[in-house]
Amino acid sequence: MDTPLSLLLNRAMGKAHPVYASMELTYTCNLACRFCYNPVQRKNQPRTIPPPAPSGEPLRFEEIIRLLDDLREMGVLYLTLTGGEPILHPDFWAIAYAAKERSFALRVFTNGASLTERTVERLAHLAPNCLEMSLHGATPGTAEALTQTKGSFERQIRALEWLRARDLRVFLKVVVTRLVEHELETIKAIGSRFGYPVFYDPVLTPSDDGQEYPLELKPSDEAIQRLYSASGLNIGNSPFEREPGQYHCGVGSGTIAVDPYGNIYPCVQWKEPVGNVRHGSLREMWEHAPLLEQVRAVSRALPTQLMTSVRDQAYCFHCPGLARLQTGDPSKPYTQALRVARIRREVAEKEIPLNGIETVSAAAHSD
Amino acid sequence: MASPENFKRNPDVSWRTIEGQSVLVFNREGEIQVLNEVGTYVWEHMGEPIEIMARGIASEYDVSEEEALKDVEAFLEELKGSGAILPAEE
Repeated sequence: MDTPLSLLLNRAMGKAHPVYASMELTYTCNLACRFCYNPVQRKNQPRTIPPPAPSGEPLRFEEIIRLLDDLREMGVLYLTLTGGEPILHPDFWAIAYAAKERSFALRVFTNGASLTERTVERLAHLAPNCLEMSLHGATPGTAEALTQTKGSFERQIRALEWLRARDLRVFLKVVVTRLVEHELETIKAIGSRFGYPVFYDPVLTPSDDGQEYPLELKPSDEAIQRLYSASGLNIGNSPFEREPGQYHCGVGSGTIAVDPYGNIYPCVQWKEPVGNVRHGSLREMWEHAPLLEQVRAVSRALPTQLMTSVRDQAYCFHCPGLARLQTGDPSKPYTQALRVARIRREVAEKEIPLNGIETVSAAAHSD
Repeated sequence: MASPENFKRNPDVSWRTIEGQSVLVFNREGEIQVLNEVGTYVWEHMGEPIEIMARGIASEYDVSEEEALKDVEAFLEELKGSGAILPAEE
């Protein structure tokens, strides 16, 4: 549904006004999730090539502050602090308060297992727009099989108790893997117990350097059907997720991403460097980088292209960044998106009566 | 009489002016408000004496200073009610 805000943001994106920025503050993490797309410091992953070396020295505090000033100047409203686990950055609090002073609407991504009662108190004082916290299971066994970290589940539940007591705005997020798919409803019940909505993301992504180990955990068709059935669960990576069929995700025109080393990317899923803030002005890059021009052209052309290349396009979330990572071409439909779209269409056809006809045979539409 | 010089923006309300309209994000409540052009003018000039603000609005938009004064006062009440602004001395 169009709202004054969505109309305004669409108009802004049409003119390449960046509204959303994502800052990966650190790749350090206290967990080692098996589905994580970040190839740095991951343990026990079946890799065929060694993880990439860091691309230089991490940004210093003063450099981060200059970056915040530039992002404010460019008109960015929503700023996501992510990682790794962003709270583990040694200057996290100073950076978060500096962002708040610059009037960004702050989203903080956390795994929750790093939080203490004291940190939660500080978060309550900071009052970010929201915390987006991952949950990895409804039981210690499932969660810890994914996080590869003993005690992570218990720490997350304790964190939820503290967050609730401090009345922080929290969205819970679940990456749907085969290891957790039998607990999806129970996780929703955990969310309800604390009064927090749960969002489920059925899309796994290869690691940033193209390794496919996270895809080995892909969920079953039946689990995806449960997600999308009428009595199902909230779908989406976060409450900021777009609607299916909306291909203009904002890549290159409404979003910008920065890694801990100052590299600028079109998006966290499109990790092709536009430049580095140490070597040029962010605004200059945003307005004139040839790569961003190409990304915008791809993004503009996608709706028309996908109308013809994706049979279930009305049900399809096509992420150009993921398409690029998986096929080498940001416009090319990729297996995961097609699979989810097919299942969504089958569920919809079973559930929505068409002209009085109760069901439509999925077989009649098989790919 | 309510005057913008007696108020300040609530630091828990994040905002940006995008395409000529201020977007206010009420972080604690999770609500969002999009202001029109005149509302944006008031928001951006919060802290100014009301007479100067009314004169500025009258010169930029097709309204008299008296009308602008009344509109600003009413809008300040609205902003106060929603918690977007706080008394300046707080």
